[in-house]
Parts: sequence; structure tokens; C-alpha cells
Amino acid sequence: MRYREALNLALREEMQADENVFLMGEDIGVFQGAFKVTAGLLEEFGEKRVRDTPISENTIVGMGVGAAMTGLRPVVELMTINFSLLALDQIVNSAASIRYMFGAQVKVPLVIRMPQGAGHQLGPTHSHSFEALYLHVPGLLVAVPSTPADARGLLKAAIRDDNPVIFIEHETLYGRRGEVDDEADEPMRFGEAAVRREGGDVTVVGISRMAETALKAAEVLASEHEVEAEVIDPRTLRPLDLDTILESVKKTNRAVIVEEGWPHGGVGANLAALISEQAFDWLDAPVGRVTGADVPMPYSKPLEQAAFPHEEHVVQACMATFRDL
Amino acid sequence: MASEVSMPRLSDSMEEGTVLKWLVEVGGQVKRGEPLVEIETDKANMTHDADADGVLVEVLAQEGETLAVGEAIARIGAEGEAPSGGGAEAGGSGEAEDEPSAEQEAEPGTGGGEAEPGAGVGEPSRERERRPEAAEPDPDVRPTRDAASGAGRLKASPVARRMAEEKGVDLGSLEGSGPGGRIVKADVEAAEGGRQKPEAAGDGGGEGEQAEAPEAEEAAAAGVQPKTAPASGEGGPKGEPEVQELTRLQRTVSRRMAESKATAPDFALSLDVDMTLCIELRERLKEQTENAPSFNDMVVKAAALALRDHPRVNSAYRDAKFELYPRVNVGVAVAAQGTLVVPVVRDADEKSLGEISRQARRLIGRVRDGEITPPELSGGTFTVSNLGMYGIESFTAIINPPQAAILTVGALAKKAVVDDNGRVVARDMMNLTLVCDHRILYGADGAEFLAAVRKLVEAPLSLAL
Repeated sequence: MRYREALNLALREEMQADENVFLMGEDIGVFQGAFKVTAGLLEEFGEKRVRDTPISENTIVGMGVGAAMTGLRPVVELMTINFSLLALDQIVNSAASIRYMFGAQVKVPLVIRMPQGAGHQLGPTHSHSFEALYLHVPGLLVAVPSTPADARGLLKAAIRDDNPVIFIEHETLYGRRGEVDDEADEPMRFGEAAVRREGGDVTVVGISRMAETALKAAEVLASEHEVEAEVIDPRTLRPLDLDTILESVKKTNRAVIVEEGWPHGGVGANLAALISEQAFDWLDAPVGRVTGADVPMPYSKPLEQAAFPHEEHVVQACMATFRDL
Repeated sequence: MASEVSMPRLSDSMEEGTVLKWLVEVGGQVKRGEPLVEIETDKANMTHDADADGVLVEVLAQEGETLAVGEAIARIGAEGEAPSGGGAEAGGSGEAEDEPSAEQEAEPGTGGGEAEPGAGVGEPSRERERRPEAAEPDPDVRPTRDAASGAGRLKASPVARRMAEEKGVDLGSLEGSGPGGRIVKADVEAAEGGRQKPEAAGDGGGEGEQAEAPEAEEAAAAGVQPKTAPASGEGGPKGEPEVQELTRLQRTVSRRMAESKATAPDFALSLDVDMTLCIELRERLKEQTENAPSFNDMVVKAAALALRDHPRVNSAYRDAKFELYPRVNVGVAVAAQGTLVVPVVRDADEKSLGEISRQARRLIGRVRDGEITPPELSGGTFTVSNLGMYGIESFTAIINPPQAAILTVGALAKKAVVDDNGRVVARDMMNLTLVCDHRILYGADGAEFLAAVRKLVEAPLSLAL
């Protein structure tokens, strides 16, 4: 099953299970979504539950917040994470804060789905990765699924959660195939990292699409450098399964974090701090980070390719924890 | 203001060096141009002179320590100046000093291949004069290092620090293998492992039983102490092995020989030369001088002359390109210091047989005395190797990379030869074998060269032309 089909399955299952679940977004109905994630849902559930909206992100999210406060379970799709910046007021000041502002008298069970990522020559206004931005905000849960199975399991969990969830998909991953057990109906749990590959020499944490890149790099490390990397996909950034990461670092004594976003204030910066605070005495090298370049994403193909991490960058960062390069 | 002494680049291929001996005590007077420290490079042991006047304030690299070229090994300052307390802040400031660094910058050129015998050749005698007083371990040196590591920042990873504390390993005594010389977990584990081994071995055999390696003496003469570590446990069918660490020279030889065999598709061409006239020539030369040129000198001269006419032999295959050399520099393989050294007779094609003989004799003596310097070992374009003195009739050698070929010389012996009249006669014959790198030197070219060498050797008067 493809990643986009797994998301579609999760939406369908949750809509079938709970009539309070409904979808809003630009072109999700008649057009079936910019990435076809909502294919067939308008037909199955009707206009009342699959609502095409005007191009106004702040309004869409605002409606979602209001609907969630009344007890519905809205799933809002934004065409890319870049456009969510238009809705930042609703996301940060409303969705994330309302439950705290009103002493938990109301909750906001809203899911905002959106893809991120570079590689399609869509320029800086369409290609950024903003998981760090939403990780920054207390009150929001942040999911970054990298496989079809996780996409389905985590989206189901997100819809059932009573907190607002920033659900970050990846444009490059929509076409990826993977095993999905469509018999099992159970949602996944947030805050459970996946160890994608076991190894004793260096811990590599890959965020979102970079979990895939990290895994490829690990194969290169094993075959060309005799370094066995342990690859961890945290799957959700808030809550974060720090225990699994720390346990691995205590075994390998080395950590490298790979993310597509910018270096300053990034997920890796944060995670490096957490590792240093909690596993300092187990570290044999400074925590390494591999990030996107510190520039707005270029449109030019070679520049764009150079501006986000590939396997070789991860291999190099891992080797740098062993010796001078 | 103290100036820093950094690990000098003493040969063009040197990347790191080992401090063998400090020739001045900490606190002692240092004079610019006077010997300061003995350093082992990948090619030879060399004395390095001080770059500045003053007092040796602090030794940063202990004897036996190996550091990369450019890293600080000591500080020279004014009398009474306190040690800085570590190389941390001083580490990157090597370029800050005006005079000394300019001196060091100039240094790589010395090993760059051009003959510059003056500086290198004069030193060893002074070095020997100095040696006795520095021979005893200097009690002042170690505390300085400890003080340095205490006040400054010793680079060790957090896990290495924690483990060292738990296991009671002194981090100051370790050499870091991590990035930037950081002491990492593996170093502490290795130190701990190393500490346990001798204890275990102590049960098996006393220290007195530890056999002294035959090479040990030679190595000690060369200023190198091979570390011997008895393996633990019962000896097994082969008996208890004595494990010897390689000296830098031995490491270089092993690396280069393996590299040559692994990369050069080699083949050998062999022929016997009639030495009758060479013997006759030598007998006559002996009447004139005590040190008459040897047969090997004649081969060197003949090869040098032939090389001039066969540029492909006097060249190298490097990075998928041919490098043809305008100068003919013939290396002569010499076994010494427990390893193999190849001093070079430069411009051998332009030197007379007598000159070649005298220079070869001098170079071989310097190798045997451990006084050879990297410039005398560099720049070779061709190599001659001779095992005739051991009675070896013919042999093949490994090409000295990246050279195109190596010529081996066998023993001079009477052999039955069929002469022009069809009679079997006894003749003084000597085997020459040319091992070629086929990437640059093909069969016909190699054969033509070898035939030319034979022609010259069989008509030795031509060597005087």
C-alpha cells in the first residue's frame, strides 16, 4: 500500500467509525486533494463531511478550531506546510492555547494535515520543512510519519486524540509503498519511536523523510566503513520517545540527528541538547547534526539538491564522530 | 612571549613524526640553529634545530609521542617564563610567530628533492655529542606535562572520562585516537586491556626470560625502541610469540611494498652478463686506489647511462599518467636498521664511475650509522638492488613505487658458457634481472634497456666516457 493510500484508509476508517470526524481543505473534495489523499471520500461521505473551502488558511483552521471546541473532530488539510504560516495565529494562539486558557473546560481535538519537503523544484514558498516550528509550541502534538504503516496508525491516533495535532506528511513519501496491516484497526500510540535498524556503533535519528535517508546511509556505513548504525525514527516529536534514543546512545556512545529543516533552532539542535543533558557521561563524541542548508530553499535543481541532506552527508557526519575527516 | 615549536615537515611525504629524544632539558638554554630534538619521520631519524633563542619553557610532546606535522611539540620563551598550561589556546596560533614560522615554512623545501646536503649532513656529529647528556630520562619533563594537562584542557570524551575514573586509568597517560586527538572510550578500554595483559603474562614467564630481539640493538642504535609485548596465556604449538611493534621505517616499507605488489602488474626480464672485462678493469683500478669501484657501482653507472637513452625506464606511472624524469637519480637498496633504506645517487648519468662509487660508499655508511636524512633518500627515479654478496645468483625484487622498474644484481660466478667457436668454457658471469611495471614499461622496451646495460657492462671502458 502506498503512503497516500494508507492515509486515505485511515481517514475512511475513522470517518466510518465516528460521524463527528469530518474533513476540510482546499480542493479536497471534487479534486480529491492536491496529492489525492482524500480520493473517493466525497463520494462516500458526502459534502457535509468532506468540505471544499476557499483559499484562506487562517479561516479554514479557525473553523476547525471552532468545530473542535463544539465537540466535532475536524481534520483540516493544508496544501503544504508552507501555507500553514498564514494560519499561525489560529494554530498557536487558538488551537494550542485554548484548552490551557479555559482551565480545560474545552478541548480542541483538531488535526491539521500537511505535507512538507524539498526536491520538486517548487521554490522557497512551497518546499520548506517546519516540524521544528510546531515542535516549539506547547499544546500541539507533532507527528512526522515516514512509512505507510505509520501514516495510517498515527493519523488514526491523531484523530482520536483530544489535543490539536500537527500531522506532517512528506511530498516525496506519498508514492512510497510499504506493508500495512489493514486487518488491524488499532491506532498507534504517540511517543513510541521505531528502531528501523539495530547497530552498536552510532545512533542515527532521522526525522520525517530523513528516517529513510538515514536508513540508506546506514547501509553504506555498514558496507563501506564497517560501522553499524542504529537508525531510530521517532515518529512523533511531541511527545518524543526520548527513552529509546537515550538507550541507544548509551549503547553506541555516538549520536547523529538528521533533519530536512534548517539548522538553527532545529529539531536536531533541541535533541542534541536533550542528549547532552541526559546522556552526557555516555557520549564519546559531540552529537552530530545533519540539516538542510541555512538558506531559503532554492528553485534551481542542483542547488535544491545541495540544500537538503542526502545519504553521503549522513555517512560523513557519522564518520566524523569516529575520526578527523 | 614564548614561541611555539611545532612538528616540522622533514620530508615531502611526512605527515606525522615521533619525538625520539629531547636534546635540551626543560629550563635549558636553546640557541637558534642548535639541535633541539630528535624526530623520527617516515623515512629517517633527524635532528631538528631550534628556530629561536631562549629557554625551553615547556615540552608538549614527550619522547615516543607521535604528532601530526604542525602540532605544537614545545615552547621556547624567556628565562623564568611559566609554562602556558597546555597547548589548547596555543594550538592554533602557529602562524602568529613571525620568525620561527617563516623558518618552518621554508623547511619542507629541504626535503623536496633538490639536493641540499649542507644542512642535513653537518648535523649528526653535533647530535652525537649531545646524546650522552640527554640519554637519561629527564626527571623534569614529566611533571611539566602533568601540570600542562591539569591546568589546560585534556581532550577526552565524557564517556572516556567517566570510564577512566571508574577503572582508575590516568587519562594524561593516554593518546587520543578520536577526532582532534580526543581520548575516546576505545582508548580507555585499550589502556585497561594493556594494563591487564602484563599481569597475566607475569604468571607464565618472568621478565628475564623475555628474549631480546636481534633487531632490538640496531633499532636502539637508531634511537627507536621497539615495544615488545608478550602475549598472554600458554604459547600453543608455536610457542609464546614475541610481538614487536614496527618502527616507522618498517611501517613505511610494508605499506609501500604491499602497495607496489597490489597495484603494479610486474614482469621480470633476466640475462647474464660476461664480467670478464669488468674484473680486469677492477683489478687495474685496485692498483690505483684502495677504494676501487665495486661491480655494483659499475652496474649503477651502466644503468644510469642506459636510462638516459630509455626515458620510459626512468619514469613513473602515477594516476594514469606517465611522468618522465629529466634527471637520472639511481637509488641503491641497503639493508640496515632492521629495515630497507634506499639512498639515492643523484644525476648518476653525469657522475664519473669514481664519483658514483665514493658517493654510494658514503651513503651506505650513513645508512648503517643511522645518520641518513630524508633528502638523501628522496628523488630516486630508478633502483638497483644487489644480493650477490650473499651468493644469490638471480632474484626478482619488488618495484619501488611509483618507479617504472627495479634492476637486481646477482652473484658473480664462473659458469660454463659456449664460446664463439662452439667450445664450452668457464666465464665470469653475473645475472641482471629487470622487474618492470607493465603499465608504463613494456616487454620490448624493458628488454632493449637491459640489453643496453649488458653492452655497457661487458665493455666497461665505455663507462669512463
